[in-house]
Amino acid sequence: MDAFSGLLLGFQIILTPQNLILCLVGSVVGTLIGVLPGIGPLAALALLLPVTFTLPPVAGIVMLAAIFYGAMYGGSTTSILLNMPGEAASVVTCRDGYQMARQGRAGPALGIAAIGSFIAGTLSVLALSFFAPVLGGFALRFGPPENFALMVLGLISTLFMISGSTLKGLIMITLGFLLATIGIDVVNGQERFTFGTINLTGGIDILPLVIGLYGISEILTNVERAMSTSLVTSRIGSVFPTRADWRVSLMPILRGSGLGFLLGLIPGGGPITAAFMSYALEQRLSPHPERFGTGTIEGVAGPESANNAAVGGGMVPVLSLGIPGTPVTALLLGALVIQGIQPGPLFMVNHPDLFWGIVASMYIGNLFLLILNLPLVGLWVQLLRVPYRYLFPVVLLLSVVGTYSANKNTFDLWVMLGFGVIGWFLRKFEYDFAPFIIAFILAPLMEQSLRQALVMSRDGPMIFLHRPITAVLLAVSAVLVALIVVKPRRFIPGGGDV
Amino acid sequence: MLTRRMLSIAAGGLAAAAGFPAGLASAQDARPDLARLKPAGFPSQPMEMTVVYPAGGGADLTARLLARTMEQISGDRILVNNRTGGAGMVGHAWLATQAPADGHVMGMLVNLVWGDAMLRAQGRWNYTDLEPIGYINSDPMIWAVTTDGPFKDMPLARIAEAAKEKPNTFRVATVPGSMWDYLIEQVEQNTGARFLKVPFQSGGAGTTALIGNNVDIAPAFFAELRPHIASGRVRLAAIAAAQRVRHLPDLPTFNEALGGTGYEWTLIRFVVVPKNVPADRKAYLSALVRQAMRDGALVEEYTKMGVHFDPALRDAADPAAALNAEAEKEREFYRRTGRLR
Repeated sequence: MDAFSGLLLGFQIILTPQNLILCLVGSVVGTLIGVLPGIGPLAALALLLPVTFTLPPVAGIVMLAAIFYGAMYGGSTTSILLNMPGEAASVVTCRDGYQMARQGRAGPALGIAAIGSFIAGTLSVLALSFFAPVLGGFALRFGPPENFALMVLGLISTLFMISGSTLKGLIMITLGFLLATIGIDVVNGQERFTFGTINLTGGIDILPLVIGLYGISEILTNVERAMSTSLVTSRIGSVFPTRADWRVSLMPILRGSGLGFLLGLIPGGGPITAAFMSYALEQRLSPHPERFGTGTIEGVAGPESANNAAVGGGMVPVLSLGIPGTPVTALLLGALVIQGIQPGPLFMVNHPDLFWGIVASMYIGNLFLLILNLPLVGLWVQLLRVPYRYLFPVVLLLSVVGTYSANKNTFDLWVMLGFGVIGWFLRKFEYDFAPFIIAFILAPLMEQSLRQALVMSRDGPMIFLHRPITAVLLAVSAVLVALIVVKPRRFIPGGGDV
Repeated sequence: MLTRRMLSIAAGGLAAAAGFPAGLASAQDARPDLARLKPAGFPSQPMEMTVVYPAGGGADLTARLLARTMEQISGDRILVNNRTGGAGMVGHAWLATQAPADGHVMGMLVNLVWGDAMLRAQGRWNYTDLEPIGYINSDPMIWAVTTDGPFKDMPLARIAEAAKEKPNTFRVATVPGSMWDYLIEQVEQNTGARFLKVPFQSGGAGTTALIGNNVDIAPAFFAELRPHIASGRVRLAAIAAAQRVRHLPDLPTFNEALGGTGYEWTLIRFVVVPKNVPADRKAYLSALVRQAMRDGALVEEYTKMGVHFDPALRDAADPAAALNAEAEKEREFYRRTGRLR
């Protein structure tokens, strides 16, 4: 079946009242859990999984998928308004989004995030519709050596993101790496740095860490500063992006869409890495890299598009091969299995109605989300008028509930609070968290893929040069390093005091 | 669809229709028995079925299907709760040391809990802190190869020979410190083969690596392999079960293929309650699990997931004793191989 008749079939299936309502419900729930700090798509999907048992397969998956991509829309909201990522994938949006809000430009930031997400979401579903089988094969070519090279490139590109002191940035990267070594060693199964406690055997979870470092420390800082004022005392300004905003955001949105989609395809990629790499890319390409981190709209448009496109990319290996790249896509597959449907390479052939129904629902869902999110911008901006003394207890409560809901382990709450206090100190000494987070995320994958690659290699490190994708990725990384070494001031804004 | 089938089976009532051995009572017959066993005032709140792995995985789906059937039979409310972390360690420890022992918490466990208890719990808890109340199903480990790889048409004995002639050349996926490792180790010791063991965090990741030609052999379970067998990408070499399984009658066991014994590595799924749950509540829950496992619709759902029902465990008069005997077999393996003193 070609893509056009497939889509026709898909829209026939999806355009029924029941399916449309479920798609809408999923979009609303997704936006909501995206907005709420801590509560991620995984917890929400797990909660709603039993509901889908009684639905027809298409309807159930349509709703769950809508929650997944809806969460990426909502995730930016609290990043921009409260400097508190609603989703781990929106961490990087805090940098410029929150600065924009402080300058009274929360509206344009939220607007561009929603529109960028829509464009990226739609482009990635288009790519999914027309190239899913081909792209599935591409995803499979990413074995351990390729993953390692990708992680190296990701890490190198984040060097461009270091704001302020280069030395402090490098310290944060190192700390991220060190902290990520806690847990079970994947090669020999031994525990590392767990100090005999069961809670550390799985390492430190990213969610409580991000909520603590960003959210809790932000609350501590604000409470310390002034309880009585609202967040934005001066003006809220216009709600929609200006013509100039559009002009500078268009290319970041398109580049973010492409980058996010490609990274979403690969098991080691995913929305978080995509958002970080898009930010680094935009900063590198910008004529004014020094403006990044001070409230520039490209720094919101790129990453927010990238994390949405990565969701579409992530659906490719799921639907074309039955291979989940992230826990959330694994849960989507589980929902299919429980309906008695076998996801896998033959899914498209054996269940064209399901495949094209899901794809068609993603077009509709993205449209719903845009219609839903644009009017919400005005509402969210009003949130900034709420005095902080009323706002912060609610945010704190939501953080606690969200963090606990992921694993139902009270240890995670201590991790969250601990990193809240650490984050509060780090802010005082002007350390940037972003390099720490990206190093923490990349390190386990990087270590694992490096060691896997060396085990499977018959001639040691040469395996990285024999494989074309790996060689290209490493060559690009080398060029980036050379650029940094040759012209440090140009490429590391504010750097040079090492 | 799940619902409609469940309803039709509840109405017409036939376990035998799903290929379940005749002679076992159908759901309706034993319900008065269950009602007689139900302790007064129990359960007084919704019950929790703990799963130590994330939502959507094999263990989680097994538990959700079971909980649903148990709810339908008893009218009690049962919520599946994923207490995840540390590859199951966190949830196992919680069940063994912190879960309330009043019958309101059950755990749907996989036998990987035994390795956790014996090798990694460091004396903080033991597998005997968790009392089995019912057997669900089994998944014997299978070695899969690609249809265009170096082993495309080789029987297992030839694969082992090839890995002996060219040691440390052929790549096999493994999950360190688990049955993936132990089975490879047994094959190596008994045949002289030597593989390159590429570590992965889960069996599923190993299967993906096989499809992408990044390893030559992936030990995996039938459900994750089935779609790739159907697409013609993957061929099965042997199954690590005591006997051939019903759904794969042509697949030889490791014991047959290599002419040995003891190549038996199976995921066993079962339900436990914490130690010290009052005897009457335990008896009721045990009867409830047993009743659910006689439900034709549930058995059919599990069969569709590609699992195996081990008659020795399913028909055991005392499932707890039978499962604990399996655990002791595993302890014996750890002692013999020097992992446990």
